[in-house]
Amino acid sequence: MNAYFRLNVEILFWLIIGPFQRQGPKVAEVFRQIVRIGVEGLPMSAMTALTVGLTLAMQASRKLTELGAGMYVPDMVSVSMMRELGPLMTSIIIIGRSGSAVTAELGTMRVSEEIEALRVMAIKPVKFLVVPRFIAMMIMGPLLTVFSNYFGLVGGWIVWKLIQGKGTAIYITRSLESATAGDLYSGLFKSAVFAWLVVTISCHVGLNVKGGAEGVGRATTRSVVLALVAVFISNATLTYLFF
Amino acid sequence: MTLDSDSSKSALHDRESKDVVIEVKDLVVRFGDRTILDGINFKVHKGDTMIIMGGSGCGKSTLLRQLIGSTVPDSGEIRLYGFDITRMSEKELDPLRKRFGMLFQSGALLQSLTIGENISLPLLENSKVDPAIVDLIVKMKLELVGLTGFENLKPAEISGGMKKRVALARALALDPDLLFSDEPTAGLDPVMTAVVDKLTCDLTRKLGMTAVVVTHDMTSAFRIGTYMIMLGSGPHQGKIIAEGTPEEIKKNPDPMLRQFINGEADGPIPLKLSQDDYFKHLLGSG
Ligand SMILES: Nc1ncnc2c1ncn2[C@@H]1O[C@H](COP(=O)(O)OP(=O)(O)O)[C@@H](O)[C@H]1O
Ligand SMILES: [Mg+2]
Repeated sequence: MNAYFRLNVEILFWLIIGPFQRQGPKVAEVFRQIVRIGVEGLPMSAMTALTVGLTLAMQASRKLTELGAGMYVPDMVSVSMMRELGPLMTSIIIIGRSGSAVTAELGTMRVSEEIEALRVMAIKPVKFLVVPRFIAMMIMGPLLTVFSNYFGLVGGWIVWKLIQGKGTAIYITRSLESATAGDLYSGLFKSAVFAWLVVTISCHVGLNVKGGAEGVGRATTRSVVLALVAVFISNATLTYLFF
Repeated sequence: MTLDSDSSKSALHDRESKDVVIEVKDLVVRFGDRTILDGINFKVHKGDTMIIMGGSGCGKSTLLRQLIGSTVPDSGEIRLYGFDITRMSEKELDPLRKRFGMLFQSGALLQSLTIGENISLPLLENSKVDPAIVDLIVKMKLELVGLTGFENLKPAEISGGMKKRVALARALALDPDLLFSDEPTAGLDPVMTAVVDKLTCDLTRKLGMTAVVVTHDMTSAFRIGTYMIMLGSGPHQGKIIAEGTPEEIKKNPDPMLRQFINGEADGPIPLKLSQDDYFKHLLGSG
């Protein structure tokens, strides 16, 4: 826990102080990580959000129609995507896809002495390996969440239009009207917190792997579990604080 | 060619401490309840090539790891250029680390970078060399280890012996005052071994670099060594069982040393349990 806290401090140090010492992060490396963490994760997040939107709309339309409130399906989909499901589902995808990959990659570097070699060359592993991944994750976490929100809305629209045969225009108007900017921002704030937790946990666990290939495997599982728990707990806490 | 800016200061310091570059005093390292290094003492002087010999698993790599300040010993002192590195923080160690190169037993090349990028890494991160010149230095270093033209391959695409040579090129990238290498010639053919040995000799004898080399290869050890120590194993685990100049080592009658140098299967080096113990061990009653 102590070491995890120190990692966070060190990341902030290199982010804030680094550029003044001409030791800022390398732009090319940040972009490489953005592509790996974010862009390559887009299809998976989009698909998840789409199916979540579909399911949500189907469930909602049955219950709401029974209650005579079938008109509120778009409101339901857009608000729950933005406030809750968009950030949460996206971060689960990021944990599974990118968090585990980061842990496995850093863990392998640790057991094959690469991290030690960096330290001996007076290169700080946190500055060199963690900071680019951190920046990439902090940018791509919220960005993927925005994409997911819209794919969720598309999922809802498919049910609305193709299954129930209702109008597209009314779906768009209703879903945009019901969700406020506050809903969007609170979701984005959540997704930034989740991104922070995921990237710091997966880097921390990866950098501290012990015991060969088997250790890397165990660490990867551990990092996924820890990140999921951290995201779920912080999600509940943030929801309690904000709403 | 020295890229380091405070080399004049270091030269002054070397003279003050009578040219002792490394001084190890009563070094003890334990892993759990196993004592791997047990009271090691030695000195390495400027321009020396110190050879560390010993059977597999006797603690040679562990010793090298201590010398580069990568792990902290259980007790004892390690002085590099007069500074006790066992009491220094990571931050204090960095200026010292920029003056030495380390070749890891596994090579420890960064798998995600190409060979060229691996060699340029210390240059780009730790020196103010112009990026245009970095390319040139990378080519020169690769030429030194006989790997011209391989700069765009990834470490996964080359053989073990080639990785060793790339790792050597990387260790030499900043023209270190001090080179540590862990089995630099393991996995190399005899010709390449001779090339690497000649490189080490040139750097130490002509440019005054100091080297600490772990090796099993006796031909190579006698070719490059100016001082040799042998670590014991079994009941002698963690002790230096013989040391001296190559001439002294050649004349040393110690039977364990003779067996090791001549590469004989029979001799006093403990490899197996005694007959009785072996049966007990097999039957699980020992
Ligand atoms: N991190 C570690 N944890 C526990 N034991 C270790 C560790 N590193 C090395 N050892 C043990 O220390 C001994 C010396 O290892 P090493 O220095 O790698 O030997 P070698 O002389 O072959 O280079 C071995 O018996 C090994 O099992
Ligand atoms: Mg070794």
